Amino acid sequence: MGTKIVTTIITVLAGVGAALVLYWVLNRLAELLPGHWEDRIKPYLYILPAYLAITFYLIYPAVETVIDSLKDSSSTAWVGLDNYTHLLKTHDFQQTLFNTLLWMLIVPAVTVALGLGVAVLADRLKPKAESTAKTIVFLPMAISMVGAGTVWKFLYTYRPEGRSQIGLQNAIVTGLGGSPVPWLEQNEFHLNSLLLMVMLLWAQVGFSMVLLSAAIKGVPGDTIEAARIDGANERQIFASVVVPQIWGTVITVFITTLISVMKIFDIVYVMTNGNFNTNVLGNEFFNQLFTNFNNGAAASIVVMLMVATIPIMIYQVRHFRAEEAAA
Amino acid sequence: MQTLSRGRKLALVATAVASLVATAACSGGGGSSSSSKTVTIWSSTDPLVFAGLKKEIVAKAKAEGITVNMQKVDNINQLIMTKIQANDTPDIAMIPQPGVVGDIVKRGKAQDLSSVLDMNALKSSMTPGTLETGTFNGKLYGLLVSMNVKSLVFYPKKAWDKAGYTAPTDFASLEALTDKIKASGTPPWCFAIGSDAATGWPATDWMEDLVMRYGGVQGYNDWVTHKTKFDSSLVKQAAAEMEKLLLTPGNVAGGRSSIASTAFGDADNPMWDAKPGCMMLKQGNFIVSKDFMPSKVVSDVDANIGVFGFPPATAGGDNPTLGGGDLATLLSTSDSAKKVMKILADPTLGKDTAGSSSFISPHKTFDMSLYPNDLTRTIASTAYKSTAFLFDGSDAMPGAVGAGTFWKDMTAWISGQENLDTALKNIDQSWPTS
Repeated sequence: MGTKIVTTIITVLAGVGAALVLYWVLNRLAELLPGHWEDRIKPYLYILPAYLAITFYLIYPAVETVIDSLKDSSSTAWVGLDNYTHLLKTHDFQQTLFNTLLWMLIVPAVTVALGLGVAVLADRLKPKAESTAKTIVFLPMAISMVGAGTVWKFLYTYRPEGRSQIGLQNAIVTGLGGSPVPWLEQNEFHLNSLLLMVMLLWAQVGFSMVLLSAAIKGVPGDTIEAARIDGANERQIFASVVVPQIWGTVITVFITTLISVMKIFDIVYVMTNGNFNTNVLGNEFFNQLFTNFNNGAAASIVVMLMVATIPIMIYQVRHFRAEEAAA
Repeated sequence: MQTLSRGRKLALVATAVASLVATAACSGGGGSSSSSKTVTIWSSTDPLVFAGLKKEIVAKAKAEGITVNMQKVDNINQLIMTKIQANDTPDIAMIPQPGVVGDIVKRGKAQDLSSVLDMNALKSSMTPGTLETGTFNGKLYGLLVSMNVKSLVFYPKKAWDKAGYTAPTDFASLEALTDKIKASGTPPWCFAIGSDAATGWPATDWMEDLVMRYGGVQGYNDWVTHKTKFDSSLVKQAAAEMEKLLLTPGNVAGGRSSIASTAFGDADNPMWDAKPGCMMLKQGNFIVSKDFMPSKVVSDVDANIGVFGFPPATAGGDNPTLGGGDLATLLSTSDSAKKVMKILADPTLGKDTAGSSSFISPHKTFDMSLYPNDLTRTIASTAYKSTAFLFDGSDAMPGAVGAGTFWKDMTAWISGQENLDTALKNIDQSWPTS
């Protein structure tokens, strides 16, 4: 333990130190150049390490992943598109894709809606009550997903009829005279997937609320006053005055949540490990790589995710640029 | 000039720090160099067995001037493969799955033990079949250090004796006993397969015990190596028997959905109620421990718990024992690590551990009086006397099946998400081609 702490401290110091030295050297190099060349070259030298880092840590692995997805399980022989066709043909993987799609359709929209609801309602409270309410909604953000998953498992825990129920939901059901339900096994209408989503919502709504609340506070009071004078009711003000002015934040929250949902892994792994038809791409990727040691299948899942994420990223970048231009 | 000299100092410090990091990283971990006197062992075995063995190994190694750093790790099967890719392995890893040992051998990272250990001595002392499980391409790579036995059925002794039940001798009498217990108003079987990310494995143990009894050693090995498919009459016969014993309504409290949603460690809980909620638990010997059973039960094992070996299909027929254990795999070429391997191969290893844990030695020559109670002696002799000791099949199958679809599709079948044919076909389909 002691050596680990020392190693950590040394690593951090060395990292920061090395970065300082690098920039100092680059700066010196630029200063060696004659007058106006120094000014021209310097920005590029300063941005160079960042580009190098992106190349090494993002672009190179991404390319490597695409290459691996065309190779066999131990990345030794080329197999063409076999990994993709094999995965897409199996029923289980189709279900996994469908489940992931469900997460994408439901979670971001509900996160925004709930976050917006809390933000708007909390805005009407007295300052003290507002901050208390917001703190409570925001608290789950501080818990790691794995920890939260373990806790939430207790909410859905099932014991056979006649044994004392330690799960909250089944305690309520049996308390009302019903039979205990194995919640996480209920895959009619994907109920179990929905129950897992509830957990993510619980954890994510705080994030959405904080951003949207800040945006709402930024809406100029005079626009609302003007609308009120014109005779608009509260709903009309919200829909036609407030929402259009915070639309940019709504999109940002939506897309951030969407991307994190596409990569969702921890909740599913901890609570069901994809059993009972709750599997999602992130969990399938983990199992392909670390249970099956199938590099090819794991890489092709990542490539599929990457391809699905790219349009969203492009949209977000464009949206961001448009906002910047407008500002 | 002021800034320059400060910069120079900074550069000097950075260089010093960088060299320090390099030293720290080298001493931090990884397979030791050939002259190192420190040996790192990773294990994820049961906590009590781990504590006992650690004490014995550390003491014996110390006598030879070697410092053993034995660490308990979680998820060792996944961890070791990651660490191999990162080239940061312990010197010796105790792997609970032969399939994973095979994967390590395939990557060329495991050392051949045949040249390190006295093979003739091992052949005469080890339980038949135990050396074969760690042998790949004719060479021993995984040495069984501790053994567990799974072909066992536990029962609550007091209630059992009071009702006058007797241990069955074949499947027909097992079925008759099941019906008799059910008729008395008690669900006969305690059965649950929940185990977090490993949910489903207790069901695979059942399948294995049934397959080896219907198919014999040859049939079982053919199935484990996929010469016989899952979608075959042998496996279907085993599944049908399992369905008859466990999935018939009333045979397990709560039925199919309860089985998949209950943790395997909780399966026996109803067995110890004043009026037992179930009478028979087929499980490995590790379950007899304070970690899984109420302490009032474990405090007097021989008075509370009874056990019989899972019967053969027909009386007097093939009666192999299903088991498992930790295979010590040598990942380093250091002399110290080789010496520690010899300590691990010592037939008396575990003499101070057996009394205080569920440890069972793989050596037939192990002093039976060291086991803490009659229950453990019955369990050990079941293994030593069986017609063959067969390693847990799901552990020996490729990871994609043995730790993947076999667990998952059994879970889907039992919980009613898939029918048996679909489940068996899915498992066949997932078998790696290479």
